[in-house]
Amino acid sequence: MHAKKLSPLLAVVMGLALAVTLFPVFWIVMTAIKPPTDWNASPAIWIPSEPTHINFLTLFDPEAIGAYGVGGVSQSATKAVWGSVRASIIATALSVSIGLLSAIGITRYGNGSKIAPLVILSGRMFPPAAIAVPFVIIFSNVGLTDSYVGLIAIYAAATLPFSTWMLKSFVEDLPREVEEAAMIDGRSRLMAHLTVTIPLIRGGIFATTLFIFILNWSEFMFSLVLSYTNISTIPVQLARYVTATAGTLYGVQAALAVLAMVPLMLMGYLIQSHLARGMTFGAIKQ
Amino acid sequence: MAENTMQAMPPVRPPRGLSRDAVVRLLTLPGVIVSLVVLVLPLLVALYMSFTDWSPRSSSFFEAGFVGFDNYSELTVYDTRFLYAVLRTLCIAAVCLSLEFAIGLGLAVLFLREFRGKSLLFSAFLSPMMILPVVVGYTFWMLFQSNGPINQMVELCFGPGSSPEWFRSAPLAVLAVIITEVWHWTPLFFLILLSGLNAVPENPVRAAVILGASPRQVFWRVVMPMLKPVIVVAFVIRTMEIIKLFDEVYMLTRGGPGSATETISLYIYKLAFNDFQLAYGAAAAFLVLLGCLLLIHLLLSPVRDQLLKGGR
Repeated sequence: MHAKKLSPLLAVVMGLALAVTLFPVFWIVMTAIKPPTDWNASPAIWIPSEPTHINFLTLFDPEAIGAYGVGGVSQSATKAVWGSVRASIIATALSVSIGLLSAIGITRYGNGSKIAPLVILSGRMFPPAAIAVPFVIIFSNVGLTDSYVGLIAIYAAATLPFSTWMLKSFVEDLPREVEEAAMIDGRSRLMAHLTVTIPLIRGGIFATTLFIFILNWSEFMFSLVLSYTNISTIPVQLARYVTATAGTLYGVQAALAVLAMVPLMLMGYLIQSHLARGMTFGAIKQ
Repeated sequence: MAENTMQAMPPVRPPRGLSRDAVVRLLTLPGVIVSLVVLVLPLLVALYMSFTDWSPRSSSFFEAGFVGFDNYSELTVYDTRFLYAVLRTLCIAAVCLSLEFAIGLGLAVLFLREFRGKSLLFSAFLSPMMILPVVVGYTFWMLFQSNGPINQMVELCFGPGSSPEWFRSAPLAVLAVIITEVWHWTPLFFLILLSGLNAVPENPVRAAVILGASPRQVFWRVVMPMLKPVIVVAFVIRTMEIIKLFDEVYMLTRGGPGSATETISLYIYKLAFNDFQLAYGAAAAFLVLLGCLLLIHLLLSPVRDQLLKGGR
């Protein structure tokens, strides 16, 4: 396409759009480093008077905020942070490994290539609220509610369509002949896939892993309905903080939000060029 | 020499190890099992449950009374709250997707120009879609507080005392949900449309320019038709997601005031997990599933081949 320069007027438009895009991020980060006196000030304070890390400390030690004469943070977020880390990592590993096998199977052998994709896609399209209801019933009958095993199983299954589809698009990019050459050299089919295909698409596997991690880390509804006392995740803990304190402990809540947001944004920038592929089930490859 | 002839011909002997069928089974079985257990089993349970009057308060799941289609007739005929939730979700979806498409396309077109710091700005514009929905909902909930920064700017523009209570008025609460959703997901349209625009071949555009087409004509008559498959994919993906709208609304308004911002997902959530009407909730869920299947079928039909074959 013809590349023209940006006129001053359009530059202003873009600057405005940039401000709108970044303002909420700016606000949440600023709130996370505000001392309690600035949290609920009216008119709102944009730049904290004395930047502090007390809010982040309070997440792991609810007593810490007492130094400012503020009480009311009853729960520590430690369990939620570890819960999120544990559930997201294990579920991502499961989802990507199963997805990788399926992706090779579908691409190289066309197995069920007519029906399987639609089944997998449809699974992703159902509203989680609709699937959550039967899950709660099944899980309460087999004792899996309020356990990480149950949560991880759902996370892995819910992201399986994404991992399968994204990986499938990477396997497709790899010429079939590479595997066939390995088979002629005397490797078995399985070994050809495992020792030739997988190393060659490792960049794609890495991008998929981060993408699936982002999805698992963001998941809210299933952890909301399946966690009572034993388990917790960051999104659920954030919702609990808002409910429990009628939403007045802005700084501590914002600190948890920033803690949840920063790793995801870093990962997102890292796999930026693959985001379109992931979000569109590999339909757009860039 | 020998190597060359070998490469030209397909392998005469089948590869060592497991047979082709065994390998296929080994590769696809885990995925199939997980899909069956996680998709088909819950669906069957939900289907059975939707014909009963079971509630966790009344009896054990296996002793639930069978009530036939009562739940369904109640939902479709009498339950105006459910019908409004469906209509509301569809309206919010229509408004959000139009805005996201328009703004995303505008930004993508701006990015076809030359300017400094392009790749940095590109990353910056993608930021919102990398943030988790719950955090987005929470952030905007703070921004829309009566003494929050948005109202500060409103007062700056329209004078003191003009700032509204966003979550106490039904239309404003809906507007807040729409603003949040548009902010969150416009970057996806931007990303998809920009990758589509960058892939438009140069020759037809050059030809049109040589034949005397104005820039506007080139854009609408040459570029846009080539962009159509990409646009459809973007709309399909976003429709699927926005029908499920839950996290942001849960954090922003919990469906309030009253039920002014209650989406389908939020209504089913409240039915099942606040009122413990699980059987009724399952019936609602099943109706939504059927509706989704139909909608997905309609939406996907133009791009099914593209999605199945993968890649442009």
